[in-house]
Amino acid sequence: MRVKLWGVRGSIPVPGEAAAGYGGNTSCVGITAADDCEVILDAGSGIRELGGAIQGRCKRIHVLLTHLHLDHIHGLMFFAPIFDPTVELTVWGPPAVGKGLRERLARFLSNPICPVEIRDLPARVRFETVPSGPWEVGGVEVQAALVAHRGVTLGYRVAVDGASVAYLPDHEPGLGEDLATVDAEWISGHELAAGTSLLIHDGQYADSEYPHHRGFGHSSLTDALAFANRTGAAHTLLFHHDPGHDDAALDALAEEAAGRWRGDGTLELAREGHVVELAA
Amino acid sequence: MDRPLEQILARNLVSIISLAAVLVDVEGALVYYNDAAAEIIGSRFEERGMIPREEWSSELGPLDAEGRQIEFDDLPLTAALRDGRPGYGQFFIRGEDGLMAIVAGTLPLVGPAGNNGALVVFWPVPPED
Repeated sequence: MRVKLWGVRGSIPVPGEAAAGYGGNTSCVGITAADDCEVILDAGSGIRELGGAIQGRCKRIHVLLTHLHLDHIHGLMFFAPIFDPTVELTVWGPPAVGKGLRERLARFLSNPICPVEIRDLPARVRFETVPSGPWEVGGVEVQAALVAHRGVTLGYRVAVDGASVAYLPDHEPGLGEDLATVDAEWISGHELAAGTSLLIHDGQYADSEYPHHRGFGHSSLTDALAFANRTGAAHTLLFHHDPGHDDAALDALAEEAAGRWRGDGTLELAREGHVVELAA
Repeated sequence: MDRPLEQILARNLVSIISLAAVLVDVEGALVYYNDAAAEIIGSRFEERGMIPREEWSSELGPLDAEGRQIEFDDLPLTAALRDGRPGYGQFFIRGEDGLMAIVAGTLPLVGPAGNNGALVVFWPVPPED
């Protein structure tokens, strides 16, 4: 399984030199486990370049959306395969009361916000609510679960041949809990991430910033480190960087994280373009 | 296995409020209660842990005014767990000083994927009520 980070930024794309080191595109991760199929986690602005890279090669694509906040879907209209009538694209997303996933996304993919209507997309697009148990897409097994963030939000665990990646880009498991001591069953997202080969997890705020953002749905460095430690993931990438953090700020955060990390696995800050090869 | 998110978030809330509150899973087991509820139950959750339905109902009640056990099927909690309906009721429970009248409100924790238990808040009824 090959995992590539196409966008690691939270909230809004950050262009410019000051953020070029870690990257300015919003959340998008590509997972390749089969030659003709791509599994994509979230459709932030990073999905635009991913689309160019797989166009023509992949005819079966699965996009797994964690939630429908704009920074996780605003790349969809710039994803080239969605305009290819030979492509089968399935968009998976969180459950909701009332309207289905297609109708909820159509509020964004429609006039006056968008020049193309969702019903006019050339690719063969299906919109599906994730099932409650594991299912298989594109040669990988997927498990989704609701996690602590504002609004209905999913985390994912993707596994194949004994290797696994957990993706929780927007996650505030430490809200009201001491992650270092509470029983694991009471930690949001723990089961998804436990023992994974690779954990991609929210690390948006420095501890000094967190008190002003408590309840926004994102983690402080302390909570991100504690969550990673409790899950025992082999390798952790802190993700969803704050748009206000330039490369210098993220370097400082990375240094602090490395100095405070006490887990058995490895931990670093996610960088756009980073590729992780996972084997059993 | 993780608790459903609805229970986890409800616990976050329950753990910081002063009103006595308990969380019940879909089987009726008491899976968390706060310190205010512990004053009535007699021990902190951290000391005691989860209490199966049969255990808490035989220890505490709820009971009618004569001290007879109220059938589980007749409790508002059961409506919350079975039908996802909020409920409200007045009962008695066994306290250290005998029967104690309480009022209880039940909030079903129904999420996008279904029912995940209930949050019950309760408070003693003052004697003059």
